Amino acid sequence: MNRHDDTAGRGHPVAASAAPREHAAGRRTPLIDGVEKVTGRARYTADLPFGDALVGRILRSPIAHGVIRGIDTSKARALPGVRAVITGADFAAPYGVIPIARNEWPLARDKVRYRGEPVAAVAAVDPAAAEAALAAIVLDIEPLPAYFSAADARGADAVRLHESKTGNIEREVDQAFGDVDAGFAAADLVREQTFHYAEVAHGQIELNAAVAQYEVECGRLTTHSVTQVPYYLHLTLAWCLGMDASRIRVVKPFVGGGFGHRVEPLNFEMITAALARAAGGTVKTELSREDGFLTHRGRPETGIRLKLGMRKSGEITAVDCEIVQRGGAYGGYGLVTILYAGALLHALYPVPAVRYRGYRVYTNTPPCGAMRGHGAVDARHAFESLLDMMAIELRLDPIAVRRANLIVPPYRTINDLQVNSYGVPACLDWVEEASGWKARHGRLPRGRGLGVACSHYVSGSAKPVHWSGEPHAVVNLKLDFDGGITILTGASDIGQGSSTLLAQVVAEVLALPLARIRVIATDSALTPKDNGAYSSRVSFMVGNAAIRAAQELKRVLVAAAAKRLDVDSAEVEWEGEHCRVAGTDRGLDFAEAVATALAESGTLTVKGTWSTPPETQGGSFRGAAVGATAGFSYAAQVVEVSVDEETGAVAVEHVWVAHDCGFAINPLAVEGQVQGAVWMGMGQALSEETGYHEGLPLRPNMLDYRIPTIVESPPIEVKLVESHDPLGPFGAKEASEGALHGFPPALTNAICDAIGIRLAELPASPDRVLEAIRAKMRTERLRARTGATLPTAPVEG
Amino acid sequence: MECMPDFELKRPTSIAEVAAILAETPTARLLAGGTDLVPRMRRGIEHPALLVDITAVLGFADIEVADGGLALGAGVTLSTLAADPRIARACAALAEAARTVAGPGLRSAATLGGNLCLDTRCVFYNQSAWWRATNGNCMKLGGDVCHVAPQGKHCHAAFAGDLAPALLALDADVELVARGGARRVPLAGLYRDDGAAHLTLACDEVLTRVFVSESSASLASGYRKARARGAIDFPLAGVACALALRGTALSALRIALTGTNSRPIVLEGTDAFIGRPVDDEMLGALRKLVQRQASPMRTTVTSADYRRQVAAVLAQRLVRELAAERLRHASAS
Repeated sequence: MNRHDDTAGRGHPVAASAAPREHAAGRRTPLIDGVEKVTGRARYTADLPFGDALVGRILRSPIAHGVIRGIDTSKARALPGVRAVITGADFAAPYGVIPIARNEWPLARDKVRYRGEPVAAVAAVDPAAAEAALAAIVLDIEPLPAYFSAADARGADAVRLHESKTGNIEREVDQAFGDVDAGFAAADLVREQTFHYAEVAHGQIELNAAVAQYEVECGRLTTHSVTQVPYYLHLTLAWCLGMDASRIRVVKPFVGGGFGHRVEPLNFEMITAALARAAGGTVKTELSREDGFLTHRGRPETGIRLKLGMRKSGEITAVDCEIVQRGGAYGGYGLVTILYAGALLHALYPVPAVRYRGYRVYTNTPPCGAMRGHGAVDARHAFESLLDMMAIELRLDPIAVRRANLIVPPYRTINDLQVNSYGVPACLDWVEEASGWKARHGRLPRGRGLGVACSHYVSGSAKPVHWSGEPHAVVNLKLDFDGGITILTGASDIGQGSSTLLAQVVAEVLALPLARIRVIATDSALTPKDNGAYSSRVSFMVGNAAIRAAQELKRVLVAAAAKRLDVDSAEVEWEGEHCRVAGTDRGLDFAEAVATALAESGTLTVKGTWSTPPETQGGSFRGAAVGATAGFSYAAQVVEVSVDEETGAVAVEHVWVAHDCGFAINPLAVEGQVQGAVWMGMGQALSEETGYHEGLPLRPNMLDYRIPTIVESPPIEVKLVESHDPLGPFGAKEASEGALHGFPPALTNAICDAIGIRLAELPASPDRVLEAIRAKMRTERLRARTGATLPTAPVEG
Repeated sequence: MECMPDFELKRPTSIAEVAAILAETPTARLLAGGTDLVPRMRRGIEHPALLVDITAVLGFADIEVADGGLALGAGVTLSTLAADPRIARACAALAEAARTVAGPGLRSAATLGGNLCLDTRCVFYNQSAWWRATNGNCMKLGGDVCHVAPQGKHCHAAFAGDLAPALLALDADVELVARGGARRVPLAGLYRDDGAAHLTLACDEVLTRVFVSESSASLASGYRKARARGAIDFPLAGVACALALRGTALSALRIALTGTNSRPIVLEGTDAFIGRPVDDEMLGALRKLVQRQASPMRTTVTSADYRRQVAAVLAQRLVRELAAERLRHASAS
């Protein structure tokens, strides 16, 4: 069986390898599922072959706010080809990703709260029959006053969307840390400014789809869906359908982008499952782009009032901020969003005193939710804009003012967030040098400018949404007779490359080639539970669990080899494809080590787990869990723009971005993620916004929802800064979100450098920019006429 | 998902056959690139029982040089218009306009005739059937209110084709064929100021060719388009211009706009600039002229005021650039 004479069972000569070991971690590694995607072999939910599936279709409310008096489905049920018609009455419980805010039914019960809210659904043999059935359903909805802005919903006489929430405030946050008044008193300059941000959506390319199969005989349900959170979906299906979770299986196939749209279970997933159960078969529901905008869960329209105190040195002495978010009709992640906004607002810098008030407001618009950079993007724009404005007023360089506010780790922020590594200084140094900042900022020809901003983000929320006391991440490894290692993980690869990263991590620990490793992910019948792909938690948490699983497998294999070689484990040198007795040439091939281990126990299955250490889980005040993380990523970026002052058109010429990812396990993927984050920030900053006409989305398509095209895409130079976080897997931290937040403020700071106008609203669409330019001209003309008696407040676009 | 309704498809190979089919079935719709019609069918805006695919009609995509001018088949694709050196030489504005439409994929399918006959657009109209019904439908389709101007009696949907202003600036003619015969009319005659029925084309007529005369082909021309993104988007406003100079003074000037009205318009009053140099005073007057005649309404998600302002800026820029280019040419030769 062996190539070598090993009759004594005590090993054989193993040649020492001349070449230095090749590391799997830190190597630029193409995604292990990349070939399937670029060749079109990858199958997404809507592509999966299920045979004769029924067609699921959803009827949506035409009314923005109203009481459901009746839903008559009798005519629809009687139509040919119709196999099931369901309403809210067919569900056992409402849902909501946050356990204390479960106030949404998959199909509305009692009330509808936004135009487009699902109210009934059908399963039929073909699309025509399904459409006919929808048309035959009669809705009796008595309208109530509807509110499409946070201000209207907060009005004194406003009807409550949800009975328990007075003033339509879903969550009010009131936090104060340190002596804020003393902080402002100690400042040499205090400035206050208001900002406004349009609502934005994810724009993920893959449309929503779900397939549910119900086996009547045994009462089992299998759901395939586009989710980022298969485990939360599993739990939610059990609640909403009143099923035992053990009868449910959830599979996440290839997913074409998430960005947060799919980090909570979505109504169509529960609807499809309920239709399958009602029809006793397989139902496939494919949604349109418009449906996606009605399902929404994007970044809320936000108003911010921010006040900063600053010393002449640039040091920040105090922060006072109020944020109002138009949350839409249901809870979703809303309370987390409003808490993130406050928690991450200032924690990028060592700020001694902070007051934060936040209001998450219920309105009759599609529910908002988590979107890449969750909660912190608009707040970052306000903060980095005001910082820039005050720096210029104090005649400080915008980079210098950020250097005047640097954290030295380990550090605990005033809101009890733990910082163990901090790459901002290195990030600033690089962008300053690479962009030619010193020679060019403030010195470019009119219409051309440079702007800078810093940002940060969590590497996973330190406490999971569903707190169960279990480890935060579990990875199983299976090793069998074939010598292949199978990683079994619940981690959702949604294009960010987590499966590749886990394979690299296991390969690194075991010193094995990637070819020996296979990843099976996100099938609840096979893989351990995972909380999902959100808050940039996967690399950090699941990566750490994978390291521990691989270490355990290595321990088992080394022990087996030691026994066979008749030495102590400590004497075995592990080199992956070989191992040997230290100081000798006597050893075993990997296959022999595996065979020896299997001879004792049969197929090997080992487990690794990881949890965030308690000191990283935040303080004890209300809402303290949000923002807490085991490791913060950091970034700085410089954006160069040109502005056409006659048309208001802004062109991004170049971006230099440095991102502190701790350690780049896969530099190729990290660079792509950083570029993607910058690019998505650019979309929000330049042109993306939703809009409503009496609660109907005005831009529910990719023509009017203006995601940038390749024409707008600038060169994005990425520098990876490695600060080696003590808790991260091999020192790694998140890389998919943190660089997003910096783009919008760097852009508007650059616009200010170019034309002297500071936009206090986003997006910087040409009409807004032109209006800001004209407003400034009007002010200047008036000032010239009246003799410079007008205030010098910055222009708000 | 928005499914295509059922339809019958015919694929004739001659214009005579096309005209015969249209005479017999006036509700039939012509299909060339399908880039405008198919999305409307998917959205339930149109459900023609019969589609007539005209891409197999012989000679339909020909470009001919005749009498020093050009005769362009209605089936010429936008990517051909954008790349063909004869077009670039004789009608730069047309080539530039073609290059700004949508993206490369759509341009390879979309045609000259289709772009000239593009349906008018409105944010209250280019939506799904559910959306339109929920909003109470509109004057352009199935309703009696124009949500853009609810007090008014007109549909304000805006024409947003990029090629029409280029060809209007070049004073082009179009050939329209029906079973009973052909007629040749100035392109401006193809349009009327009604967002709900902006084409004068009869339902049994097919637009077959576009003619640009030798004198137009000798003009300097160009097209400028305002939009939020550098690709994909329809024009928020588009401006085409064709001009000639005698010395430093304007000897010919035609300007046309798109995206701002229910039809593409030829700017009126430009005759007053003939004999004058292109200077700040002239450009200031031009700006006012554009601002007066462009009458964008709330048909797009971008404000009407911006579209009016930017149309004027683009017109000024284009005239200045074309004049400067002509002067450079003149001094070089």
